Amino acid sequence: MVAGPGARPGGALTEGASGSAPSTESSGGPGGSPLLELSNVEVTYSGVILVLKGINIIVPERGCVALLGPNGAGKSTTLKAVSGVLKTEEGLVSAGQVRFAGERIDTLAAERTVRRGILHVMEGRKVLEHMTVEQNLVAGGHLQRSRDAKESLELTYEYFPRLADLRGRTSGYLSGGEQQMLVIGRALMARPKLMMIDEPSLGLAPLMVEEIFSILHRLRQEDLALVIVEQNTAAALALADYGYVLDNGRIVLDGTAESLRSNEDIREFYLGLGATGERKSFRDIKHYRRRKRWLG
Amino acid sequence: MIQLIEYALNGALLGLLYALIAMGFVVIYRASKVFNFAQGELVVVGAFLVWFFTLDLGLPLYVGFALALIGAAIFGLIIEPLLFRRLVGQSTFSMVMVTIGLLILLRGLVLVIFGPSVRPFPDLISTAPITFGDITLNRGLAYGGIFTILLAIGVSLYFSRTRPGLRMTVVAEDHQIAQSMGISVRRSIAYAWGMGMVLSTLGAVFYLNGKSVTFLVAEIGFAALPVALLAGLESVGGLIPAGIIVGVAQGLAAGYIDPVVGGSFSAVFPYLVMVIILFLRPSGLFGWRIVERV
Ligand SMILES: Nc1ncnc2c1ncn2[C@@H]1O[C@H](COP(=O)(O)OP(=O)(O)OP(=O)(O)O)[C@@H](O)[C@H]1O
Ligand SMILES: [Mg+2]
Repeated sequence: MVAGPGARPGGALTEGASGSAPSTESSGGPGGSPLLELSNVEVTYSGVILVLKGINIIVPERGCVALLGPNGAGKSTTLKAVSGVLKTEEGLVSAGQVRFAGERIDTLAAERTVRRGILHVMEGRKVLEHMTVEQNLVAGGHLQRSRDAKESLELTYEYFPRLADLRGRTSGYLSGGEQQMLVIGRALMARPKLMMIDEPSLGLAPLMVEEIFSILHRLRQEDLALVIVEQNTAAALALADYGYVLDNGRIVLDGTAESLRSNEDIREFYLGLGATGERKSFRDIKHYRRRKRWLG
Repeated sequence: MIQLIEYALNGALLGLLYALIAMGFVVIYRASKVFNFAQGELVVVGAFLVWFFTLDLGLPLYVGFALALIGAAIFGLIIEPLLFRRLVGQSTFSMVMVTIGLLILLRGLVLVIFGPSVRPFPDLISTAPITFGDITLNRGLAYGGIFTILLAIGVSLYFSRTRPGLRMTVVAEDHQIAQSMGISVRRSIAYAWGMGMVLSTLGAVFYLNGKSVTFLVAEIGFAALPVALLAGLESVGGLIPAGIIVGVAQGLAAGYIDPVVGGSFSAVFPYLVMVIILFLRPSGLFGWRIVERV
């Protein structure tokens, strides 16, 4: 972890794709050498329930990609397919490939992908409830040499000073925001090459959301790539360079974060933002007609 | 008064023996969430390993004992790959059924290999009782009690301070989280069975010092159960107070109630204590309570 404000050389992303209007056919994804590559990935649960229906996603080295879309679209499933957590839920990558740093990883168990440098911060703030904050973090660094782990611990506390104050506390009793910091910190302890975070803002007060996202912005200066799944699309697109919108197991839209932010249709339909920026409910929107227009 | 102290002390020592055997149970439960009904059989297998390497092979006592511990660890380590690996993702219920299968299997194996006859057990500790004035204590149990207290502290520190121990604690918390952190759940469960087997063998050594060994020794597994439940299934440190509570209660019942009712009421007393305490505190005295935040 080499932190350093503004020290992010040649932010791998966006050069190629910037300005291109979002379209339904895959526009080739973000530029830059790919760290993670999903090609035509299908995921089946319990052998019968087809949840991902052939998706293509590229995450460049040191890039940040946002996955957006309504509930049940398959965002979490996508992350699980990459990390291998899928296999603990009777899920399977039934077609297509997941490649990480050039190698296929779709058959690896979750415990193996971690060793490759993929850390999945799962939905729901999965702290180790009965362990202290520090034990959570130390356990997160269990694959490091102990000297490196010590260094990582200091760095993590630097990122999350609040965790340093709470180090002796039983993590099950922390507030939601503190728990979210803890799970991100715990993933950081493993010094990942790719961190995938599922809905970090879920159920948190606006101020806490801001705090978490400001830390994620700082994390972008580290030598790692990020994938973020978020309902708070404005925050996610402010962080990411590139975004994919999933619906019903397919990618219906992708483009640079900038282009997604400014696209009227997306603002209205997927991001629930009216032209003036206020939130609308999905119910207000004529779902099918709009989607047809995109797919057609 | 002296008698009261003697009953209580001997009870406490017996309770600490239960705690040692319950420790094997708890270590396995933590990792696998499997309620191991074969705990008593593990003690029997450990006892026979000690007998085999010392008296049967005629090796020097401590050499044989060390080999028995190594054999026990290996025996424990192969239980997971042999019996549980294929059950990954199956319900806890089916895994518990497997432990009942293991119980029957081990009992059968012990009978086939060693037969039903009574074997002498080697005395690793002098059998002369310890006496303080008018109080007499079983030396094996006394040493065992002190050893168990130290061991409980050591094992607790192992689970909370060392890396391999922390890994096992993460597995105890949640298998999916453990995997998402790069921890092999299966390996942790295998280690837990290995540890459980070593602990059971140590229990056999203190329990059977000055006694003999048959397959009936397995009953100690069920006697230790109330201590594990009382401690709260996840807590190694909690086994010490839980063992002492159960043991003292049983010792006093044996001293004062048994003569009156004319039977061995004291044998069911631990279960009675357990039911009462669990009624008041379902997660035991020191177990992991479900975290509820308001
Ligand atoms: N273990 C499972 N077995 C069967 N179906 C599943 C399983 N997990 C998820 N699904 C289904 O897969 C679909 C996609 O779920 P997923 O959790 O990936 O959605 P999501 O985009 O993350 O939604 P949300 O925004 O609500 O978190 C849903 O219809 C869900 O019901
Ligand atoms: Mg989700």
